[in-house]
Amino acid sequence: MFVIVVYDINVDRVAKVCAYLRKYLYRVQNSVFEGEITKGQFARMKSGLKSIVVDDEDTVRIYILPHDNVVAIESIGKDISEFCQII
Amino acid sequence: MRNFYLIKNGELIRKHDTLYFIAKKEPANSNEDFILEDDTIESFCELDDESTKPEYEKKALPIEQIDAIFLYGRISLTSGAIGLLAKKQIPTHIFSYYGQYLSTIYPKETLLSGDLHVKQALHYANSNERLYLAKLFVKGSAANILTNIRYYERQGREISPILSSIKERIDEIEHMSSINELMALEGNIRLLYYSTFDAIMPSEFSFKERTRRPPQNPMNAMISFGNSLVYGEIITALYHTQLDPTISFLHEPSERRFSLALDIAEIFKPLIVDRSIFKLVNKKMISADDFNQNIGSCLLNENGRRLFLEEYESRLQTTIKHRSLHRKVSYKRLMYLECIKIVKHLLGLKKYEPFEIWW
Repeated sequence: MFVIVVYDINVDRVAKVCAYLRKYLYRVQNSVFEGEITKGQFARMKSGLKSIVVDDEDTVRIYILPHDNVVAIESIGKDISEFCQII
Repeated sequence: MRNFYLIKNGELIRKHDTLYFIAKKEPANSNEDFILEDDTIESFCELDDESTKPEYEKKALPIEQIDAIFLYGRISLTSGAIGLLAKKQIPTHIFSYYGQYLSTIYPKETLLSGDLHVKQALHYANSNERLYLAKLFVKGSAANILTNIRYYERQGREISPILSSIKERIDEIEHMSSINELMALEGNIRLLYYSTFDAIMPSEFSFKERTRRPPQNPMNAMISFGNSLVYGEIITALYHTQLDPTISFLHEPSERRFSLALDIAEIFKPLIVDRSIFKLVNKKMISADDFNQNIGSCLLNENGRRLFLEEYESRLQTTIKHRSLHRKVSYKRLMYLECIKIVKHLLGLKKYEPFEIWW
């Protein structure tokens, strides 16, 4: 499945969340990650996030799509996306 | 799960439990601001690393998504990075400046099976059993070769006489009584196959003959490059099985190589490497400018490698509906499934049948 993760995190923890999500997904904006992920990885990622996030201060929203070809993505301005398999 | 190919020079480091690749920026985009790391002032990095200098860029490789890493540039790895790769069971394949396979950083074996190991060695030692498997590898490879050139015959290329002589050779496989004869026949089939290339490909990519170490013309350069990629891919697949990659059946097991990967690669080269080449050349996606032609050798340059890898990788991700699993699997996954079929054969659960293109 294809997921888009966006977050608002207290400044004390935001770097931690960013570093954590980097293990699973590609960073496409400040505080936006996306990528193709398996169900197992998704479950692990979610439980990892739960252990970092503080419930009454932070929010993480996850948009779940069945596959990346159901979503058309356009971007305007400079591309900061990290996605690249051939570097 | 994906492969990552690093063709630039740089450094692989571990930070925050993921991998980062640090490389010098290309001069073309050096006037742009590359967004470096954090969206905060606070950073967890204790050490100064080079990526903080503006002329360097740093890319994160999502560790959970990596299947294998292919290193083509000059890359230094820190012990932290190697440790993380081992922990996540990611084999890292290293290639020389000339694109030749050099080595693999093979993570610690976690899938071990004494039972299978003994059976694999016994299959090798028993000449009938060994020949049985070896014939199947040649058969699978030849069948896929045949499918490839049949396509071009239907397109009206003048290759019918070669096609029928390949068919004759395939019928002979059954009657071979020794590995040496079988290897000779396999070489023969491949020679016939390569002799059709000049009829299939436009004249600026004339092939003439197979030359290796070093390759002499662009066609040979692409074949060598592609074959080494498939070899690495099969080593990755073998790592995730209990098979011993050094005990092989068609190729003679010897030192310093994973010869079982050579056996299995034979089956997939026509599907993955050769079809990538045909597409790149016939659709004019690659040109003579993408090669470095020196006296006595011809190699893909950086741009050529990038083009080839893009095509190769999209082919690996191509999916087909699997006949017995009844679900979609990628070509990459097919290679792993091929290893599993061998495991089942060695354990006596199900007779091995080589993968043949059926579509």
